[in-house]
Amino acid sequence: MEIRLHGRGGQGGVTCAKILAAIYARLGRSVQTFGDYAGERSGAPVRAYTRVSDQPIINRNKVYEPDHLVVLDPSLLGHDVIAGLKHDGTLLVNSDDEPENFDTDFRAFKLAAVDATGIARKHGIGTRSVVIVNTTIAGAFAKLHGLSLDELHEAYKSLGLGSNFPAAKEAYGAVKIVEADSDAREAVEAVLAAEAAAAAEVADEKRQILPLTEHVESAPTGLKTGSWTARKPSYVQNLAPCNAWCPAGNDVVEFIQAVAKPNNEAEASKILGRSTPFAAVCGRVCPAPCMEGCNRREYDGSVNIRGLERWIADAAPVAIAKEEIVPQTNQKRIAIVGGGPAGMSAAYALAKAGHKAAVYEGEDKLGGVLLTGIPEYRLPSKDLDREIDAILDLGVESHCGVFLDANSVADLAAEYDALILSTGLQKLRDLEVPGSKLEGIEQGIRFLHRANLEGNVELSGHVVVLGGGNTAMDCARSALRLGAESVTVAYRRSHEEMPAIREEIEEAANEGITMLMQRQPIAFHGSGKVGAVELAVVELGDPDESGRRAPIVTAQSSQLDCDYVILALGQSIDYSRIPRDWEIKGESVNTGNDSQFVFAAGDVATWEGTVTHAIGSGRRAADMARAAFGEDLNIFQRPDREKAVPVTDIRLDHFLRSDATLDRLEPVETRRRSLVEANQGLPDAEESHRCFSCGHCTACDSCLVYCPEGIINRRSGGYEVDYSFCKGCGICVEECPRKAIEMN
Amino acid sequence: MTVQLISANHAAAMAATLAGRANRNARGFGGGIYPITPQTECIELLAKQEFEKGGVIPVESEHSAMAVCMGVSLGGARSFTASASNGLAYMAENVVAAGMYRLPILMMAVNRTLGPPWNIWVDHGDTLMLRDSGWMHIYCEDNQEVLDSILFGYRLAEDPRVLLPIMVCQDAFVLSHTMMQTDIPDQEQVDRFLPDLDLPHRLHNDAVTVGGLDFPHETEVHRAQHQEAMDGVAEVYAEIQDEFEQIFGRRPADRIVPYRMEDAKYAVVSMGTTALTVRVAVDAMREKGIPVGAVRMRMLRPYPEKEMIEALAGCEKVAILDRDISLGHGGVLWSETRGTVPPGCVVQGTMLGLGGGDIRPQHIEEVIEDLLERTEDGSPVIKEVM
Repeated sequence: MEIRLHGRGGQGGVTCAKILAAIYARLGRSVQTFGDYAGERSGAPVRAYTRVSDQPIINRNKVYEPDHLVVLDPSLLGHDVIAGLKHDGTLLVNSDDEPENFDTDFRAFKLAAVDATGIARKHGIGTRSVVIVNTTIAGAFAKLHGLSLDELHEAYKSLGLGSNFPAAKEAYGAVKIVEADSDAREAVEAVLAAEAAAAAEVADEKRQILPLTEHVESAPTGLKTGSWTARKPSYVQNLAPCNAWCPAGNDVVEFIQAVAKPNNEAEASKILGRSTPFAAVCGRVCPAPCMEGCNRREYDGSVNIRGLERWIADAAPVAIAKEEIVPQTNQKRIAIVGGGPAGMSAAYALAKAGHKAAVYEGEDKLGGVLLTGIPEYRLPSKDLDREIDAILDLGVESHCGVFLDANSVADLAAEYDALILSTGLQKLRDLEVPGSKLEGIEQGIRFLHRANLEGNVELSGHVVVLGGGNTAMDCARSALRLGAESVTVAYRRSHEEMPAIREEIEEAANEGITMLMQRQPIAFHGSGKVGAVELAVVELGDPDESGRRAPIVTAQSSQLDCDYVILALGQSIDYSRIPRDWEIKGESVNTGNDSQFVFAAGDVATWEGTVTHAIGSGRRAADMARAAFGEDLNIFQRPDREKAVPVTDIRLDHFLRSDATLDRLEPVETRRRSLVEANQGLPDAEESHRCFSCGHCTACDSCLVYCPEGIINRRSGGYEVDYSFCKGCGICVEECPRKAIEMN
Repeated sequence: MTVQLISANHAAAMAATLAGRANRNARGFGGGIYPITPQTECIELLAKQEFEKGGVIPVESEHSAMAVCMGVSLGGARSFTASASNGLAYMAENVVAAGMYRLPILMMAVNRTLGPPWNIWVDHGDTLMLRDSGWMHIYCEDNQEVLDSILFGYRLAEDPRVLLPIMVCQDAFVLSHTMMQTDIPDQEQVDRFLPDLDLPHRLHNDAVTVGGLDFPHETEVHRAQHQEAMDGVAEVYAEIQDEFEQIFGRRPADRIVPYRMEDAKYAVVSMGTTALTVRVAVDAMREKGIPVGAVRMRMLRPYPEKEMIEALAGCEKVAILDRDISLGHGGVLWSETRGTVPPGCVVQGTMLGLGGGDIRPQHIEEVIEDLLERTEDGSPVIKEVM
């Protein structure tokens, strides 16, 4: 008895042939089993053979006229498979179709069908994507050939396949068998004979084999190998970690790739302009979560993304031309309360979409904390003004110097089609300790406001700044620039837990500012004017809900003499300025009145405290307002960081190690007493070439070069795979440095 | 003894394991191994085996694999490796060295076509390239013979009257990857069959040079001694056949294996698995009344000339089949065997199944029919079997 099996590489056809041989070996027969070996790859059609005899087997040939056929993959079933099958032979096919529904050519033989794939999947044999059917279909074979379940079970046990027996048993019971249709026999035989004759002619032609001294055929050769596989590579765009980490939703990887091309800053700026009006601002003051997510971080240091954003914004300021504004047939009026980054981002997004935004701001100028809270040496006012002006150029109205109480906010909500509340954190945390009312103790936000807008700051002697955030750093460095002889920052937790941007802390320390960690102020001393602050030593306990270790104030304390104290202890929402019955939940605001569309943006909505978060939140609030007006759009949502391409998917050996290009800093001696911008940014955009471009094709040609078949071609900036030849080897996927090709 | 359904590659690994363990009370077992299709399964299984003393060492090339075998053998241990095709070509320098050192190393070779162009299927050209390296050569026809020949080969190679390395060859895929029921002897049986290896020229504690410089006359004598050892193989071979049969209950085949030759006027000489297919064709021709027989060449080196002359003594026409080609001449088996036929006998050489084509009984029948029509020797021909 000769059995031939047809499967695909990876389906276990050779093992299936061995199982059948083992069953008959247990019955005392001589058996022989082997595969048809070649350079197969996963998915390529593969044949395997089993011989069974009462006599010793001396035949060493392949099986050309099988007694029985087993087809593991229904897509392989064709005339080439049944050619040579003996008249009284059987045909067993892995198929979820009824045998009666098979083409009449296959009904010419005793035909059996079983859904081995379904059964094997149910029993969890193989993986979800690659189901191994060999052990299952052998059960159907046993039924078809009158073997007992006991014999089958013993054979499985002897092969160590006992755990696969339940699936085989199910196939044994489920296989459907129909007898041969003798009427169909004659027709199929005529067809097969004609095909065999045609094949013989082709075979004769194939014998014309070129001598090795002739030119060999270039790849791809004439053989259409695409049918060998069920797997195909395709080009995809995967989420880059920088994009996933950016709270403003900037397409970081794309703007970096754009600026990597020579003289292409305008293009890069356009990409930035899709998501942010504040590229010059963020390029200076963003804490750059993108750089924290950057896959280059652990390799040789994150790409200096913030520096590149600034380079682009300074070289080609973000500007939306009037003609780019979407014509809006359903134009709405939106009031925005608070002209900080969140409000201005919302105004920008709405104006681009053709709506009329009106910004109400208590200060005399727009910008919010960017204007009042960030010192000139860090964010020059000319750069802020340029970006604010660009937003106003889109037709955004501004009403500055208008202080709104809760009642007037409620009135505005009624007057406009929608209102976005972006008032930020106006309430300053105070310190309720003895001596806190002494003269010479000032809130940091007020101090910065005076320094930035009023120009009436005069300091001398030793200034102590209490706090560890960006406001504390800004106050300390401003104090140094405005006359303080020495500055000390005292923070209640440890250095690692300071919320300020790392570079700011380092630059402050380099400028000579003393950092005193784990100190909590418990009293101020002085007669009329503060002369010393009493600082208690703090120990750090277990992590609190923020993940930081909780400070525990000890009884040990000491006095630090000082001439001035600045409090930078944090801020919170000033609810007195918001209508009492409004309920803020993220960007949504429930006013209790369904006909009013009110949203929140920035710190008042999310309390996340950075410009970049505020920009994203403003855009989201604007999108939510547009959705409320009935527009069909995808409301901006920060991407899921978990879905970003991990560094383990990057082929690091494609990238030379190189240090990041750092921003150029003014020398400490000149900058510590001057309001000149301390950080002068990057010298050029060369840093962009360090970007891995995670998940985004850069047309680097790796796939084209490594494709062993030479069937990947360049097409309009990307590539095209000739699937009629692709064997699904997966080398392009493996070699892609940046996970921009996937197998499916 | 247990019967298992295994490939001939695994049968070879099992045999090497049993032979290696059998030397545990002496100097143990070792060898360098390097994978190459279609031999890889064998060394993969061997590398997983545990030995009381020694074990195989994965190395970076075939050249080093044989170098390790020489070191192991000179250290007095039983030594094994496996290779194929261009791997053997790369190993060649050390294959010759092992032969000239007269180290009883056993190499299982899976016969595979030499490239380029690359071809993984059976062709005997690779081991025949090493025909004159001073090794003994055995070509197997089935799975059991592969296992038995490795046990048999160690006993022969290590006999103090022989002391020569031996290649046990098998056809790629047709044997190496084909699974059949195979008797695997018990360790105790193998222990009885294979005595501890006692290599007379093994290295001890004192530093010595092995295989230094030979002047012409010394080489003449060394070659004569080597040849003398080859000449003595036939006698030792027969003794070991008896012992093998006593212990394992089956008799290893003779150096040549005649089939239906008693009254044959025509004969087909072949080597490897082709011989099995030849038997099928011979039976079919006998059915038609044609007095044809077959001779299988099992041991090509030392060449069993006397036996071959006897086997072919009554033949009028002889077809010699080669799955190899000595380019510029013809098949190796043909060139070596055509001188052993009786006077006046027509000899025709045919090379078929080169590069691994599936030689089927009808191809052999065509060769026989062609032979019957011939009245004089012809030049060797290549027969395509596609």
